[in-house]
Amino acid sequence: MTLTVPTRKPPTTAADPVFSVSGLWKVFGPKPERVPADPELAALSPADLRSRTGCTAAVRDVSFDVRKGEVFVVMGLSGSGKSTLVRCLTRLIEPTAGTISIDGEDVRAMDRGRLRELRRHRAAMVFQHFGLLPHRTVLDNVAYGLEIQGVGRSERRERAAEFIAKVGLEGMEKRRPGQLSGGQRQRVGLARALAVDPEVLLFDEPFSALDPLIRRDMQDEVTRLHREEGRTMVFITHDLAEALKLGDRIALMRDGRVVQLGTPEEIVGNPADDYVREFVRDVPREQVMTVGTAMRPASADELGSGPAVRPEATVAEAIEAVARSGAPARVMDEGRCLGVVDHEQLLGVVAGVDAAATGEARTAVADTDAPAAADDAPAAAAGRRTAGPAPVPGEAAPAGRGPATSPGPRTTPEAV
Amino acid sequence: MATLTVPASKAGAPRVLKSRAAGKLLLLALLAAVLAPWAAGHWPGATWPHALTVHLDKPLAAASDWVMDNRDSHPLFLYFFGYVSNAVIWAVRVVYLTLLAAGWAGVTAFAALLAWRVAGVRLAAGTATAFLACGALGMWVPTMQTLALMVVAVLASVAVGALLGLGAGLSDRLDRALRPVLDTMQVLPAFAYLLPVVLVFGIGVPAAVLATVVYAAPPMARLTALGLRRADPEVLEAVESLGATRRQRLLTARIPLARKELLLGLNQTIMMALSMAVIASVIGAGGLGDRVYQALASVDVGAALAAGIPIVLLAVVLDRVTAAAGDGGTRPRTVGWPYALAVTAAVALATRLLGALDWPAGGTLDIAGPVNRAVDWMTAHLYSGVPVVGGTADWAAHFTTWVLDPVRDGLQWLPWWSVLLIVAALAWLIGTWRTALTAVLAMAAIGVLGVWEPTLDTLSQVLAAVAVTLVLGFATGIAAARSDRVDRALRPVLDVFQTMPQFVYLIPVVALFGVGRAPAVAAAVVYALPAVVRITAQGLRQVDQAALESARSLGATGRQQLWQVQLPLARRSLLLAVNQGVVLVLAVVIIGGLVGGGALGYDVAFGLAQGDLATGLVAGAAIVCLGLMLDRVTQPTGRRPGKGA
Repeated sequence: MTLTVPTRKPPTTAADPVFSVSGLWKVFGPKPERVPADPELAALSPADLRSRTGCTAAVRDVSFDVRKGEVFVVMGLSGSGKSTLVRCLTRLIEPTAGTISIDGEDVRAMDRGRLRELRRHRAAMVFQHFGLLPHRTVLDNVAYGLEIQGVGRSERRERAAEFIAKVGLEGMEKRRPGQLSGGQRQRVGLARALAVDPEVLLFDEPFSALDPLIRRDMQDEVTRLHREEGRTMVFITHDLAEALKLGDRIALMRDGRVVQLGTPEEIVGNPADDYVREFVRDVPREQVMTVGTAMRPASADELGSGPAVRPEATVAEAIEAVARSGAPARVMDEGRCLGVVDHEQLLGVVAGVDAAATGEARTAVADTDAPAAADDAPAAAAGRRTAGPAPVPGEAAPAGRGPATSPGPRTTPEAV
Repeated sequence: MATLTVPASKAGAPRVLKSRAAGKLLLLALLAAVLAPWAAGHWPGATWPHALTVHLDKPLAAASDWVMDNRDSHPLFLYFFGYVSNAVIWAVRVVYLTLLAAGWAGVTAFAALLAWRVAGVRLAAGTATAFLACGALGMWVPTMQTLALMVVAVLASVAVGALLGLGAGLSDRLDRALRPVLDTMQVLPAFAYLLPVVLVFGIGVPAAVLATVVYAAPPMARLTALGLRRADPEVLEAVESLGATRRQRLLTARIPLARKELLLGLNQTIMMALSMAVIASVIGAGGLGDRVYQALASVDVGAALAAGIPIVLLAVVLDRVTAAAGDGGTRPRTVGWPYALAVTAAVALATRLLGALDWPAGGTLDIAGPVNRAVDWMTAHLYSGVPVVGGTADWAAHFTTWVLDPVRDGLQWLPWWSVLLIVAALAWLIGTWRTALTAVLAMAAIGVLGVWEPTLDTLSQVLAAVAVTLVLGFATGIAAARSDRVDRALRPVLDVFQTMPQFVYLIPVVALFGVGRAPAVAAAVVYALPAVVRITAQGLRQVDQAALESARSLGATGRQQLWQVQLPLARRSLLLAVNQGVVLVLAVVIIGGLVGGGALGYDVAFGLAQGDLATGLVAGAAIVCLGLMLDRVTQPTGRRPGKGA
């Protein structure tokens, strides 16, 4: 598996959530509403639930917030309920229980007209199999959302042409979807969603049907669009590499539940359970983990020398810097040295034996003094995300803090 | 137990199947053992017991008389059927006069431009040639009569069918209610539709148009519903995710997405309307069909052919042009509608000014004379006495004596309850207990109607024709599936044969075999054969290539591949071919009543000709029951696609 994780963006500050979901259920089957209502039924395993009631719970008690400007990835294998979840957000599938709000407005309480407004202006979706109208040209497909809104012909065509150019399809306006390749079709789907200028873009496994090379192009395209426009995105995928590459935060789903929610680094560095651990086992950790997680406190003589890396640099980048200079690398943020990484920490990350990897390792190393910095990696990571600039090097890793009290990485659905 | 040595996984499925079939048969046998002696004791004799017959002749005759007496006075006729009837007459006359006003040149020019617009240059040339040929055969006016009737009937069928289809496409409940009705209507012979409309409207153009609409609307309704239901769910979801209203979704997505099915529906409706418009000559449609009907009545093959050729040309042109409109998506624009209309108007004006609106009197080609001379020669030389091979009339006589008579006598010899038992057993083995029940009830209804004997006569003809059709059809279909060359050679032939209306098939068989039951069977075989060949070949070709390849890799011979892989895997298609064969054969065997086929078809024709609607209606009802029974007996579980093509 090759991963090219871009240098992570600075952490998003806790802003008002765009979407706020809590206790969301979607149950298919006869009399679905009794399942979330009855704690006994709600606790059943999928197989038991099916045999007891004939119902299937596609989404089970899911809660999360999507913050403004972030790429929120929902990832899971097929049948994990992720596609149902994203359809519940705009009620393309009617949820069974729970609350959804967009900018504080209750989505489930909306009437038909208000819901249509939501779909027309606030959230646009990109589909796995594109969902293009085969009898329309590319231009008219992109303009379709505007047409639905009642925008005049010339204006909507003008705006559509602009977005066609933006996704790199100039000169193909007159073609029909049948004459395009898969990647080009998905660009049309993307342009159609962008053309209505939505507040949130919802992607439902948009690149799963594409060839690997085209898929990478399209991922880069999404990254570029996100960088340029800063639009909030909810991205559904079953591809872990894609999730790690695009996501600011990832919700990992299994059997309708969110089993872990966190940054890519937290998911890889600190899996919540064996399922997640198995999932991320083959991920090249050095390309996901940052030096901010791996560093240890700097000793006095290390403060002044050695190559400098930013805290959000990946371990892979630090390895290169350390290998070139032969000295430990300093983790520098706005002129302050937060810590250092040397061969020991970096190799630990690559080998997956750092404290964050396994619980046993964590307790084992907590007794010894030497790898204390690694032990505090989670705390450091959490600090990085939530507490703003880390304190001076000496305090970057408070000595006595055990993993039990570390607030960050084990972010569970309940905690959000 | 030898079977135990067979690996369980292999033996499991067939044994279960076998035991289920055996179970069904056992149950039936038990039922028969109890009921049969009782029934035989109560009502002895082979034929349907008299005590169980309900005579409908009197009430039906009374109803018919009542309709006759009240047609001009009763409000139902005055204010409803009267208006319908007048509107139809008015519409047909308007179209007819327009066609005549445009003149032969104008109509030909318009048809060619229309074909050019939707189907390209080649079909435009073909269309022009076809229309000119109709004129050259001296059939311009009958062709226009048929065309006028068709235009009105097709417009009405499309309107009715599209509305019903729209309803069924959008509402599940309506779909569930409508589907069995449409399914059943699709298997009934065209002849069965004639009498009820005649009862209400009397013989004439309105009855002909309405019978055509009833016959031709179902495919439009079916395919409209299918198209609306088959729309890609993700496209619809995408449309909804953009905030479309219901109306917007219907108009901008669902209907355009169903374009292909809608045009296929139009194609099928046109073809069925043509078929019916020709048959409806029996109830006063006039036009080409009437010419064929009159000529056949006096065994004037030449005149029948002169009217039959335009029908075939019309059928082929209409089918090709509408089919091309259906699958053409990216054809370059040729002529616009305004141009086409302007050119037509110009041509029509020019011919009017030249005084050449009617087809030039000297420009007709009389083929009736030469054809009749050829037929006379055939009668003299080919009918009988040809050394070694015999003659066509001899064949017909032999077929009647050695096949048709024994089958009919055998069926009539069987006790009535055993016929019901056989029907039940067959239907249950192939289908479900529901289809078996329907089949038995339909068969029993025939007995109750008091037409047991003629129905068994018709049934014997159907069985003989189906047997011949299946032998020939499977053999040809297998050949076409295994050899690309045969397939290529057959394709155009099948295309033409599948588009021809049923009525036309009677002409050549009368020329070859004279009149009687054998020619009716021959016409039925020729009519049903293309569909059977096509379904068989397609079924065999669609067999999973991986399975075939693995058989080949194990070293199976061609014969082994055919018997062990292709035929078993194509079972569904073969059953469908049987079903279609039976339905199509029945339709033509009934029409064969017009050329001496006798039995039910003759009763209907006789009833119409003599104004004895009661006899005709009873026979018509029996035809419906027979069609229903035959369809259910051969119906594999699951859905079937549309009729014929």
